[in-house]
Amino acid sequence: MSMTPSIIRTYDLWKQYETEGHDGMALRGVDLSIGKGQIVALFGKSGSGKTTLLNLLAGLDEPTRGRIEIEGEDLGALGERGRTLLRRHKLGFVFQFFNLLPTLTAEENVLLSLELAGRPDERLARESLDLVGLAGKEIRFPHELSGGEQQRVAIARALVKKPPIILADEPTGNLDSATGAQILALLTGRCRDAGTTLIMVSHALNTCEYADRVLRMTDGRLFEEISCEGLAP
Amino acid sequence: MRSVIRSFLRHLVRRRSLSILQLLGIALGVAATVGMMLASRSALQSLGTAVDFLKGGTTHTIARPAGPMEETVLAGIMGDPAVRYFAPVIDRRVRLKGGEQVRMLGLDPFLDRNVRSITARIGVSAGDGKTDEAFSSFLFDSRAVLVDENMAKDLGLSAGSIIATLQGPLKVVQVFSNPSGEPLVIIDVGHAQEFFRMKGYVDRADLVVTDENAFRQRWATGFAIESNAQKARTLSALLGAFKLNLEALSLFALFVGIFLIYNTAMFAVVTRRRDAGVLLAIGASRGQVTGAFLVEVLLLGVAGGALGGVLGYLLSKFLVEIVGSTISTLYFFLRPSALPWSFWNLAGGMLLGSAASIVGSLPPLLELRRVRPVHVLRGRTATRGMSKRMGTIALFGTACLAFALVLFGLSFLHVYVGFAGAFAFLLGASLFAGFVIVVAAPGMKHLFSRAMGLAGRIAIGNIRENLGRTSVAVAAFMIALSMSIGLGSMIDSFRRSLVWWMDSQLRGDLYISTKADVNVPEELYEELKTLPGIGGIDVFRNVPITFHGRPASITSIDASVLERYDRFGWLEGGDGSWERMKRGDVIVSESFSRRFKVGQGSRVTIETARGPAEFLVAGVYYDYASEHGVIMMDRSVYLRLFGDRTINSLGIFIDEGNPDRVKIIEEVKHRARAFGLPFATREEFHGRILDIFDSTFAVTRSMRVLAVIVAFFGIAGALMTFFVERQKEFGVYRALGFTTGDVARMTVAESLGLGLVSFLMSAVVGTVFALILIKVINLQSFNWTIFYHFTTRPYLVTGLTALAASVAACAYPVWSVVRKYPVMQIREE
Amino acid sequence: MRTQPALLSSSLAGFIILALLCFLFVCLPRDLFGQGWRQADAPRQWSFPRDHGSHPEYRTEWWYFTGNLADNEGKRYGYQLTFFRHGLELEAKNPANPWSVRDVHLAHFAITDVSRGGFHRSDRASRRGPGLAGAGAGAMDVHVLNWSARMKDGRIILAAAHDGMEIDLELAPAKPPILHGRQGLSRKGPLPGQASYYYSFTDLKTRGTLRAPGMKGPVPVTGTSWFDQEFGSNQLSPEQAGWDWFALHLSDGRDLMIYYLRKKDGTFERESSGTLVERNGTSRHLALGDIETDVLSQWRSERTAGRYPAAWRIRVPAAAIDVTVRPLVADQELVTTASTGITYWEGAVDGKGTSRGREVAAEGYVELTGYAGSLGGEILEAVSGFRFQVSGFRKRL
Repeated sequence: MSMTPSIIRTYDLWKQYETEGHDGMALRGVDLSIGKGQIVALFGKSGSGKTTLLNLLAGLDEPTRGRIEIEGEDLGALGERGRTLLRRHKLGFVFQFFNLLPTLTAEENVLLSLELAGRPDERLARESLDLVGLAGKEIRFPHELSGGEQQRVAIARALVKKPPIILADEPTGNLDSATGAQILALLTGRCRDAGTTLIMVSHALNTCEYADRVLRMTDGRLFEEISCEGLAP
Repeated sequence: MRSVIRSFLRHLVRRRSLSILQLLGIALGVAATVGMMLASRSALQSLGTAVDFLKGGTTHTIARPAGPMEETVLAGIMGDPAVRYFAPVIDRRVRLKGGEQVRMLGLDPFLDRNVRSITARIGVSAGDGKTDEAFSSFLFDSRAVLVDENMAKDLGLSAGSIIATLQGPLKVVQVFSNPSGEPLVIIDVGHAQEFFRMKGYVDRADLVVTDENAFRQRWATGFAIESNAQKARTLSALLGAFKLNLEALSLFALFVGIFLIYNTAMFAVVTRRRDAGVLLAIGASRGQVTGAFLVEVLLLGVAGGALGGVLGYLLSKFLVEIVGSTISTLYFFLRPSALPWSFWNLAGGMLLGSAASIVGSLPPLLELRRVRPVHVLRGRTATRGMSKRMGTIALFGTACLAFALVLFGLSFLHVYVGFAGAFAFLLGASLFAGFVIVVAAPGMKHLFSRAMGLAGRIAIGNIRENLGRTSVAVAAFMIALSMSIGLGSMIDSFRRSLVWWMDSQLRGDLYISTKADVNVPEELYEELKTLPGIGGIDVFRNVPITFHGRPASITSIDASVLERYDRFGWLEGGDGSWERMKRGDVIVSESFSRRFKVGQGSRVTIETARGPAEFLVAGVYYDYASEHGVIMMDRSVYLRLFGDRTINSLGIFIDEGNPDRVKIIEEVKHRARAFGLPFATREEFHGRILDIFDSTFAVTRSMRVLAVIVAFFGIAGALMTFFVERQKEFGVYRALGFTTGDVARMTVAESLGLGLVSFLMSAVVGTVFALILIKVINLQSFNWTIFYHFTTRPYLVTGLTALAASVAACAYPVWSVVRKYPVMQIREE
Repeated sequence: MRTQPALLSSSLAGFIILALLCFLFVCLPRDLFGQGWRQADAPRQWSFPRDHGSHPEYRTEWWYFTGNLADNEGKRYGYQLTFFRHGLELEAKNPANPWSVRDVHLAHFAITDVSRGGFHRSDRASRRGPGLAGAGAGAMDVHVLNWSARMKDGRIILAAAHDGMEIDLELAPAKPPILHGRQGLSRKGPLPGQASYYYSFTDLKTRGTLRAPGMKGPVPVTGTSWFDQEFGSNQLSPEQAGWDWFALHLSDGRDLMIYYLRKKDGTFERESSGTLVERNGTSRHLALGDIETDVLSQWRSERTAGRYPAAWRIRVPAAAIDVTVRPLVADQELVTTASTGITYWEGAVDGKGTSRGREVAAEGYVELTGYAGSLGGEILEAVSGFRFQVSGFRKRL
């Protein structure tokens, strides 16, 4: 679809969990190629395997079979240390439950990300918060912020280190629809500005409107969608 | 990294109650250990100081192998060229009117000042001018004594005070300083002879000898010469079992302490799991996460350890009292003084706190390292569905138990091996905690749902589903309860065995004086023999001796009287032994037999006043009177070989059917009273022995307190963690219409459930532990057989302890629930 | 004489002696008169050997041996061995119990090792106890632990050993007992009762063995000893500051004993006197005016800053004696500042001069008290606490 070179590639990705219940096969041969700067929405029912894919892409988990390449590098060959460095420098994360560290202030949460990337810079952290519209709320603790604000902090945390890729897991899942829309606009807008590749796992149909490309996951298999309409139940 | 650490440490402030609980958990673990160690050290140190203080410049002592030494021997010692100085000593005890016994030394101030300083300063105390008569009073007033400052303080004595004793009043002429904690009364040696009715005798002479070999050669026959080194060895052997007991208690305290810390570290991990997941997801390495956690643990360890050091010091002051009274009953009349405060306590506490924290945090740390961010970030707690792992852990437990069995098999090597076995057993048993919860859960669910309805059922479900937390709490609590049951059962069994022994061996109708009391004048014995109606009089004499360089004792009795009236329990030989004793054979106690590997038919050689004499062992009898071993012989044999006519006590036997029994006993009492001698009926005598027994085990019993503390922190910690971990669930409960009362009840049920599982488990583990203590540890360290008796008391006491602790432990969590629950909602953060 | 034998020590002996001093010397206890002790108040009918034994009806008694000896190599030694008996009670409370105290027995032992310049001393005290110490009546038989002096067949056997010091000596009197003063009543002050009974063996041929610390073993020695026995119940007056005592053997066979009682005002007590014993054993009393003594030099003790006379020219014009004597070892000072605060000098001396116009050599012993600090009540003030002890004893007495 896109002429840009792919930044993420997977080859025949399989993942099986050793959990009780059925066969526990979360992914069944996923081949994927995402271009640099693309904004991708990934849909799918609960348990379809989309979060698993995200975790595998982030190197937080290892595939049972198959290969993942980020910027042409094989994740499996990187090792734990290499994957940690990858997360530090090349990946940003935005979670459904925000997952801010409750004991750190908004600014400290953002700074943490920079610190891990080896560039602790408080000015940069404040700017980043400013960019997500949280100027003046730097010293608040997560529990002193609303859900939307917390997710803005999470976005700032992901963006601040200017990673080439941001993975977002249900970024609006815990927000009302108005706030959700604002967050989506903010997240995709910032990514576009910075040329960042964004993969959003979502339930919310409106996510589709902000994406360049729509993927759907069903029973561990990945399908390309042409338009947002096809997603309707 | 700074932010990572910061994010962890801020938890300590945010979850204040949990942090305080953690801190206290560590502090108490450290306090228990430090307290016990300090107490045992100060007890032993006081003992050492006391011994050193009394030793002065003495290099050797000379005494008869048994019994007092004729004072005429002194003139011979005086002329020995190897003797630089010598000083006669009468070393006895005096019973105060209050019943307390105090060591009383008869010394000669002229000769004694060459070997020690006590009498050198009689009259040399500047001050109120009252002491100026001290020296002449001491020399001329037959009741004049010096008392040491500790005793003076305790009893409010000063120069001029009168001390009432069972043998009449003593007049204090001066108080002397005594760096040791041993209360001492000093009297002139001549007055001591009159006071103790031992005219012509002293107990020993303390010597400063220049040429040991020459001296020993000249005094080889009929004397026991002991160098200070030998004396120290004898003393340490004498105290060996006691020291071991204290060490064991210290180790148990440490074990429990580490468990507490492990427990608290586990809770720390719980509250960090999600953070760890987030950190890993955004690029923190596992090393950084582990490091941050370690910093937190160390911080808590150091702070808790410091607090524990201080608490432990305070605790030791209390424990020293108990330990001291045990020493006093068993060995010396020593009141150990607590060690002075030292900053080493603080440093030691910190070190112990952090070391134990690291050891205790290892398992949770490993868990943290295994955290899968994927799972925690999705809100799952890793500990659910751990029942399979519990099976694996239980397998480890089985291996541990097997190892314990091997150690028990090897326990003959050293008593420490037995201890190691006991630890391995407890550790192994604790690993079964999770497994037991899984197994017991269905039954408990049934029980609790009937008793407390839905809240009860959910509570048990929570226990079952949070095995990672609950199994640790249960394990810690169970160990503490097992120790309580085990020690309790051991003590009860011992007590029952003792009662059996007294009933078989101490069957006299009346006992005049005791080994620890005033000697009985032979006149009284002669007088009583002529009294009509008395069936028999046992003349009891017990003297400490050194056998193969270790302490033991000789007891002389009247074999024909005991043959007729007593019912000795025999390990070897039988009632036929009495006949052989009359002909000159001896019997030995079980402890002697085990300690020196001597049995029926063996021959033992004892140093007597007439040189070495060999005896045939006719039998081995059960005995709890001395862990060091007793050789028992007929008085006629004893008198012939030792020439010591001292009588420690008389046992009066009257035939069962004698109609004048009461009258005769009254008459004997009357005559004993005329001699100023204490007496006791069989019941009173037995009662007194049991009192001593009970006070001996006071320290051991005090360990129960530990169980309560462990329970409290273990359970309270578990409940608090539940609460922290499941805020969301509480929101759901609320949404479902659970009232605050329901949730509070549920918390109580969780607490009781944990208590119940722990108790049930400890009933089994504790019983086995009791058997280990009886069959392995006791046998190894005291060399005597205790018969296991099942008694319900330890179980009841422990059960009540568990209940009380469970209820107390849920108090704070319930309060938290009541306070916070009404405002909870279904939302994260 | 030797009123105060002054064997002072860091231990009990010192304390007892101090008590004695205080009692006898400082606080002349009039109140004690008539308490039952016999007083030395009239000339005595002597009977030997019975009077070599103890006189327990008198409160204080001593047997005092000093001697100048030499071994085969000509190395010279001095020794002093003294036994005291001091009665605390007229009767023991419980005479059947040997530990029951009537008397305290003390002893002092010193050896001067002239060739090595060494001076060694030791002292002890004991009650009678079961054969631990005692002074027999009827014959000389005194001992304190294993130090003893016993007369057997007219000879005195001395034995003492402690910490490398050892003597085993046999003393044979070459002259009969010499009674000092009037029939052995030796006055120590102007008041009645300020006196003691005092006699001496001034010339005892001595042989035996001696060992001083640092020597490999005992060596045979011979020489001359001097023996004093004295007993009484109180003697001195509070004005006295100390005394100088001389016991000299002259090589022509004459023996000279002199004692000066020094008063605090610098004069001598009128009762100061001496005895001259001729070669044939006859003796004459010397009054204070018969004797002239000049101190020729002094020795200052580094230890105590005490300044002692250290050489004397002694003249007895009426007997044509003019001798000069000096200490064999300068430092024969006994210091007990740590305990009793009493310091004195007692040591072997020798010298030469003329006797009846002929050159003679002299040797003997000198005792000097009251030079380093005072000997009387004041020193008690200096030693805090000790006063109580002493006064306690005094009250008891």
